[in-house]
Amino acid sequence: MFVDNEVNVVGKACPMPLIALAKTVRTMRQGQAVRITGNDPIFEESIVEFCREGRHEILETKREGKTVSMIIRV
Amino acid sequence: MDKKSVTILLQSGDLDKALCAFIFANGYASLGIDVKMWFMIWGYNCLKRRRSLFSLLGRKTDPVREGAYRVLETDNILQPMIELLNRGGVHHLPLSRLNLMGLGPFLFDKMLKKKSIMGLEELIRSADELGVAFKMCQICFDAMGISVDDLIVPNVEVKGVAEYAKDTMEAHVNLFI
Repeated sequence: MFVDNEVNVVGKACPMPLIALAKTVRTMRQGQAVRITGNDPIFEESIVEFCREGRHEILETKREGKTVSMIIRV
Repeated sequence: MDKKSVTILLQSGDLDKALCAFIFANGYASLGIDVKMWFMIWGYNCLKRRRSLFSLLGRKTDPVREGAYRVLETDNILQPMIELLNRGGVHHLPLSRLNLMGLGPFLFDKMLKKKSIMGLEELIRSADELGVAFKMCQICFDAMGISVDDLIVPNVEVKGVAEYAKDTMEAHVNLFI
């Protein structure tokens, strides 16, 4: 799937994925897609919460072991 | 008023409490919520720039921040004495428990690094980048003889209790740490 931006936060702990995603989303236009990959234990919950708060759409969620990769439409 | 907002008042100068406050601030700010952080009494210590002991007497102002709020000259012998005992600095904060004469924070920092959790200075910088508003209490500035030059973050506002009351009444959440 085509994405405009990628954020890789593998190995980063709690506030870091949110901060990195928020900083990237701010530079993007509406309708663009971003892929975020991480392996924090609460990674998926926090991204879902982020999307609910910012009214973003989750297009795809892939899990490979502990690593989760999600695609979000801004 | 549809924009959600949060105020956080940091009163404590301990490393763990400051870390707590800045993690919350970063979390709220990255969810797109308006965050205003207030600092009182020992809360400044995490924002203070570490100065050498010799700079206590002849303090020079920063020409970049022209017109910013500052106490140019201390008129009281107690203010340099407070500075001497309470030098602050991000990397020199004590822990509220298990301080062990400075060994505690050292081991705490090591533990955070090993678990790749952001340190306090990193959190302060990213809070600044995410647009968290830093507001200071004016009477503490005057009483402790601190000026805005001494702080590691730019864009600091020096305000009074009326502004705090207004902000907290508008906010959805107010944290006092």
